[in-house]
Amino acid sequence: MKTAEAAAIRIENLALRFEGRSVLENLSLALPEGGRVTLTGPSGSGKSSVLRCVMGFAVPASGNVFVRGERVTGHSVWKLRTQLAYVAQEPVLAAGTLREEFERPFEYRANHGARGNLEKLPELLERFLLPQELLDQDVVRLSGGEKQRAAIVSALLLDRRIFLMDEPASALDTAARDAVLEFFRERTDLSVLVVSHAPQGFDLGGRAIALPERARAGGAG
Amino acid sequence: MIAAMASGAVKGAIDLSALSMAAVYALCIVPLAIILWNRVALFGEAIVALVRMTLQLLFVGVYLQFVFRLDSPWLNGAWLVIMVVVADVSIVRRSGLRLRRFVLPLFAALLAGLAIPLLYFLGPILGREGLLEAQYAIPLGGMILGNCLRADIIGLKSYYEAIRTREREFLHALAQGATLGEATRPYLREALKAALGPTVATIATIGLVALPGMMTGVILGGTEPMTAIKYQIAIMVAILTGTAITVLAAIWLTTRSSFTAHGPLDETIFRK
Repeated sequence: MKTAEAAAIRIENLALRFEGRSVLENLSLALPEGGRVTLTGPSGSGKSSVLRCVMGFAVPASGNVFVRGERVTGHSVWKLRTQLAYVAQEPVLAAGTLREEFERPFEYRANHGARGNLEKLPELLERFLLPQELLDQDVVRLSGGEKQRAAIVSALLLDRRIFLMDEPASALDTAARDAVLEFFRERTDLSVLVVSHAPQGFDLGGRAIALPERARAGGAG
Repeated sequence: MIAAMASGAVKGAIDLSALSMAAVYALCIVPLAIILWNRVALFGEAIVALVRMTLQLLFVGVYLQFVFRLDSPWLNGAWLVIMVVVADVSIVRRSGLRLRRFVLPLFAALLAGLAIPLLYFLGPILGREGLLEAQYAIPLGGMILGNCLRADIIGLKSYYEAIRTREREFLHALAQGATLGEATRPYLREALKAALGPTVATIATIGLVALPGMMTGVILGGTEPMTAIKYQIAIMVAILTGTAITVLAAIWLTTRSSFTAHGPLDETIFRK
């Protein structure tokens, strides 16, 4: 089911419904390998749901999502997720310390091969302005911005190359945001799809696509 | 227990005459008076409970007398299967899950939790030739099944409600590349702990706090206390085994069909 020139992510005629109401219609976009695309729109325009569809956490009413040329289905999504990094607006991490949060995914069979990457942890923490002491702290005590950066670090440890970021600037202070921006500007091998209601705060370049506002489509963020 | 030992000779329990039973019910005046006197909002409920208990036990008594007299392994087996079905429906009702989807897998889980320890007990341990002899199969099966019922309700509720309320944490595991089995493992672990915890706690304090029901019954029935405790130990181990098997099986057998193909929990498994 692979197509010839495989974009990192391609979305074709995506339509989303939330509790029977149409939230989004006819969205098509392509995120090239190493590219950056920002989806903008007011809250309720279905931005976050687009990312959820790519992850397989929501199923589109119609249309298709492809990751590296492979269509996202109930069968393929399990393998495709191992190429995706999902950075939620306020990531909910499993209970435990931050160190456990970084180590846990390596227990999953899909990530066994990447275990050696844990060596890069100190360097990555520094890069994202996360002090080493945080490792022994309970994740519930982390701020929203620290959790977002932890989610990015975790995805990098897992060798994820396609980043889906939901409102990345909202929880970050200026210094942290600059660190994140600088990192992604350097790493042109990573593909990034950002959704944001205020894109000026997090400018990675690339294309910007504005979603139209939908009347009374609240709740789908 | 002390009286039985002191008298030296152990006899079967004395049957209670109609007059004695009337005296038993007369004793109810004490708790009912306390309830009334303190205006506890429990009077109606207590009366209904006493009436229900009487009718239910009368029915079981008549039925069991019939089952014991015939003592046919088929009839005994059928009785156990009927109890499994009743337990099955009662679990699904009380756990807030959708009947249609859960009845069959739970039936299998209960049957496994009941049959494995019960047959082990009746076969290799007691060495009964008639495997499903009413005298052993019915009371032991009833005790194991009653505990399986309680454990499955706690286990299934804990498992599915934890995944529902901590959905984002669950999706986070999927996002990090977990398979369904890997992502559900923490919830399975919690569910087993919640379901088996009460049995483990009972085992730890048995005999200290309360004399277990079965031991009381066996001693009243005229058996030596030392024999009674051996049965009690065996039944506690059988219960722990049965509950562990049934909860694990119930979760395993229902997991596959309770999540969408993409991984998230299928919300339609809940009744509301």
